[in-house]
Amino acid sequence: MIAREERVPRSLRRFAVPIGIALLAYVILVPLTSTDTAQQAGLPLLADKLWFRIATTVAMFVVMASAWNIIGGLTGYASFGNVAFFGLGAYTVGVLVSSRGWPFPLALILAPVTASLFALIVGIPLLRLRGHYFAVATLGIGVAVGELVNNLGPLGASTGLFLPIVRSDLLFFYLMLVAAAVAVLSTWLILRTRFGYGLLAIRENEEAAKIIGVNTNLYKVAAFCIAAALTGLAGGIFAQWNSFINQENVFAISDNVQMILMAVVGGAGTVLGPVAGAISLELIIQTLAGGGSKAVYSQIGLGVLLAVCVIFIPRGVIDFFGGQSRLSLQYLRQTLRETSA
Amino acid sequence: MSLLAVRDLSKRFGGVKALAGVTFTVEPGQVLGIIGPNGAGKTTLLNCISGLTRPDAGDIRWDDRSITGMPAYRIARLGIGRTFQIVRPFPSMTVRENTAMGGLFGRPDGRLQPAAALKAADEVIDLVGLGEKRHHAVLRLTVPDRKRLEVARALAMHPRLLLLDEVMAGLNQVEVEQALTMVRRVQEGGVTIVLIEHVMSVIVGVCTHALVLNFGRTLIEGPPAEVLNDPRVIEAYLGERYARRQQPPPAPPSKGDGNAQA
Repeated sequence: MIAREERVPRSLRRFAVPIGIALLAYVILVPLTSTDTAQQAGLPLLADKLWFRIATTVAMFVVMASAWNIIGGLTGYASFGNVAFFGLGAYTVGVLVSSRGWPFPLALILAPVTASLFALIVGIPLLRLRGHYFAVATLGIGVAVGELVNNLGPLGASTGLFLPIVRSDLLFFYLMLVAAAVAVLSTWLILRTRFGYGLLAIRENEEAAKIIGVNTNLYKVAAFCIAAALTGLAGGIFAQWNSFINQENVFAISDNVQMILMAVVGGAGTVLGPVAGAISLELIIQTLAGGGSKAVYSQIGLGVLLAVCVIFIPRGVIDFFGGQSRLSLQYLRQTLRETSA
Repeated sequence: MSLLAVRDLSKRFGGVKALAGVTFTVEPGQVLGIIGPNGAGKTTLLNCISGLTRPDAGDIRWDDRSITGMPAYRIARLGIGRTFQIVRPFPSMTVRENTAMGGLFGRPDGRLQPAAALKAADEVIDLVGLGEKRHHAVLRLTVPDRKRLEVARALAMHPRLLLLDEVMAGLNQVEVEQALTMVRRVQEGGVTIVLIEHVMSVIVGVCTHALVLNFGRTLIEGPPAEVLNDPRVIEAYLGERYARRQQPPPAPPSKGDGNAQA
């Protein structure tokens, strides 16, 4: 674990880090000049309203993929129900703001609380299941919560909930960016503590983890709750940003699949993998979907890409920043051997 | 006072009585060897002591305090380390990292922080003879080395009692000798040991006591040399007729309860 962490940054520092810092500075600072200024200056990407929206969406998926990575990547419990946390966070903000007239910031604080409380309640029984059983059970939870919300009158039932519109691309962009930073930093911090090593031990061999003294049940539930809190936060921001929520846009199982794919393609179990995955996949999805009548190809293209990734770079694209050349036959052989072992 | 006292321990899996009332004690400083034919309940016994399996009946006392049914992680933190017969390393970690995990979680005398645990891992890695391979990935290790790693990870927990489940199985003569030296050094370090073994030279070589399990019951207990020559033990392993041919005065045949070999 530590060896792998040390292996990554060596060449990362040389190429990727300066480029990354430059990009990050651009993304963070340019919007400060306001969209109008940016438009006048003709700055690419961020001067464009559509791209602003895409950048916010990317940040949102960074939060979701990183959060999924904590339970799925670090702990090894592939949750297909994380989208329920997103929806619960969104509906917490939705109900409090639209029906109770709470101010958005106050409601947003409660979004992660609701989501992680729910994770605590369902996590205690569900995390006793493993592998496919856990995946199917969480999938059921995800669908069930969505259906429940869809049929509850006070929650707007199938009509959904409308929130007072707040027109500020900047605000929501920065909120999502902060949430993304919190998600990435949490992962980084977790991996440096005893808690993080406990999660890795559970992923690698749960029985062995128990007999060396890891309180596996507590650790798994804690990881699930942290993932839920982060996902719920993203959901809460989304509710106000979109100003309309219903079952279809906040409880979409396809979103859950997407966050898993992002984490896995980027590199599950790493700090920056889900970030790389979220950025690259979301951009690919947006590009492919932009073709109008060719939209059907976006699904096919995505499918092919994923198959290729899982076979040839099972440790994720972030692994390309390792020491040795990743484009050699030797790397391919080694990878295939390790994953089939 | 006994370090570990097991009384009337029973465990049933469906129709199979894996343990049918096992009673024994382990005194501090002992090396207790547990032998018995396949299916005698040896591994189930270790699983019950380490908390991975909950016994149906009976009592396990550690330092005169009952630990029966306690979760495995709490038993580990009391100072009971164990290895698995089929090794269970953390595959994505190196030898050093695997070992450090023991010190990070298991120590009864205070758990270590990650950096300190890595440093502390080095001494036990040397003790089990993996010093040269400390930075190797687990997947590159041979089976004997993986067994050494199991011991290293358990030792990093600074246990007072170490449960070894067939660490010598599959080793050649030279490797068994090395492993024996290792066990002796661990014992000299003040660790009490319970080991399950099929290799008889190990039982005679390091054990201060031996216990024979058959069909989930204690068949005989005592000094290793005596136990291994007992006709009942020969019978348990090789059958009644063979035992009678070997030892003219036949011992009273033990009552096994049906076919628990399954």
